[in-house]
Amino acid sequence: MRLDAIAKVIRSKNAGPRLLTLDVMLPDAATFAYVTARLEPLRRQVAQRYRVSENEVAVLPFEPALAVKITLAREIMSGDIGDRDVYGAQQHAPLLDIEL
Amino acid sequence: MTAIARLFDDFGRRRRPLRSLGASGQLGYGIPTPAFEAGLARAPDMIGVDMGSIDIGPAYLGSGKMAPTRVGAKRDLRKVLRAARRLDIPLIVGSAGSAGARPHLEATLEIIGEIAREDALAFRMAVVAADVPRPALKQAIAAGRVRPLDTMPPLTAADVDAAANIVGQLGLEAFRRALEADVDVVVLGRACDTGIFACIPSMLGFPPGLSMHMAKIVECASLCCVPGGRDSILGVLDDEGFELESMAPNRRATPSSVAAHSLYEQADPYEVREPSGRADLRHVTYRAIDDRKTRVEGATFEPAERLTLKLEGAAKVGYRALLIAGAADPHFISRHEQIFADVACVVRDLVCEDTVEDYCLGFRLYGVDGVRRWAEPPAHMPREAFVLGECIAQSPERAEEVIRTTKQYLLHHGYEGRLSTAGNLAFPFTPPELMIGEAYRFNIFHLLDVDDLARLFPVEVHTLG
Repeated sequence: MRLDAIAKVIRSKNAGPRLLTLDVMLPDAATFAYVTARLEPLRRQVAQRYRVSENEVAVLPFEPALAVKITLAREIMSGDIGDRDVYGAQQHAPLLDIEL
Repeated sequence: MTAIARLFDDFGRRRRPLRSLGASGQLGYGIPTPAFEAGLARAPDMIGVDMGSIDIGPAYLGSGKMAPTRVGAKRDLRKVLRAARRLDIPLIVGSAGSAGARPHLEATLEIIGEIAREDALAFRMAVVAADVPRPALKQAIAAGRVRPLDTMPPLTAADVDAAANIVGQLGLEAFRRALEADVDVVVLGRACDTGIFACIPSMLGFPPGLSMHMAKIVECASLCCVPGGRDSILGVLDDEGFELESMAPNRRATPSSVAAHSLYEQADPYEVREPSGRADLRHVTYRAIDDRKTRVEGATFEPAERLTLKLEGAAKVGYRALLIAGAADPHFISRHEQIFADVACVVRDLVCEDTVEDYCLGFRLYGVDGVRRWAEPPAHMPREAFVLGECIAQSPERAEEVIRTTKQYLLHHGYEGRLSTAGNLAFPFTPPELMIGEAYRFNIFHLLDVDDLARLFPVEVHTLG
């Protein structure tokens, strides 16, 4: 299943100037369970698409909002020379077609 | 009697739930009047507004300028100031002027002074600046009392000298000292947004975990609702929990929308941190009161083992000049990487005949890699693309020289397989070069161990009107 077919929200934003945090919110408990049963493949694909090693990707389920939070270091600090997204609000796109 | 004294007097006679009105998530961009007035009609005990954030990037902290316009900031400050005086309740403003350094704070205080004069308002105001003294910070580095945050390198004395402004995120404690000066209005430089709404509850003895959790949500106004938005929100706190209700009838605070707010711009959704400690959200429950109101319970507070201050600093890296153009030639678009690299060499050879390369020139091709450096090229190249050239140099003149030279040679560069030999770029207007001034980067994002916050960040009291 493609992530953008099952999620209700897929978004990215800075968590401070050095980190990028990605939220995948799911519509119901069953989908949340489906995704949380596949956190390792999710982490692997995120690492590949964001060009970081797997141990640099933190994946945290957040049951109260039926969400999975993914946090990784930004390639370039927010607003530094060469940065392309100061707020980090458009860095979610590589997640959309992840197959789980 | 001041507004804060009146509130304490009222609570001294009868303990009851505390009503906090979160006027706006970021002051200066407009406060929708219907929801704000609806909030005032609910007899709030205080009004709070946050003016800042680090998310807006290093330029504001570095340059000392506000993110919104002065007109926008004045319009919104007038709205909250008049309301607070009309109801005779405390107004608390955090992260004055966007980045909360001395120039931002001064600009905010100047606007408040103007409003007080123009509208004949009289009040007492406590102010706490958040600027970190450089000698004290250098001593702290030498004493090993400064640690990097996230992936930052260790802080050096040279970083401290290079920073245009250095602020510390003041917490609850600073807001509290400001209120203890017996005032109507509190304005802080850079501050944790939670302090704005957690300080009065802390002085009234409400459970600190609940207060901080509510503060973290209310400071973003109605962002925790569906649909999320900028309208004012009311948070009603008691000793067991708090209730949230947007003051805009179409925005609903639901258990899942409120829970989801904990994810926003936070690496860890289970905690809210501030200098004095953290709220632990692991055992929080969210319950619908009706379809527009949610009750939240269960956050606990863990005091920090030692007081720490989150530091932010921005240093000038030079002056920025831009080139704006478009392209519709498939050969140009598909070969852009090579073309940009070749033109950068041509430019360097021309502008660096008798000097080393003393600038930084880069290109983004929107449609292909403007927004991120993708791991793979796109399956299909776009029909049109937008070219953004950017030069950062040590003087505005040098940046302009490089970008204007780049424009000429990118326009006429004769690349392999070129058909459109009259020009490679479509300029939407001329001149297509823009000189946009000073460029900054964050060079400080560190944690400082502190003992005596009151000595570093004293309260100033102003009497207006």
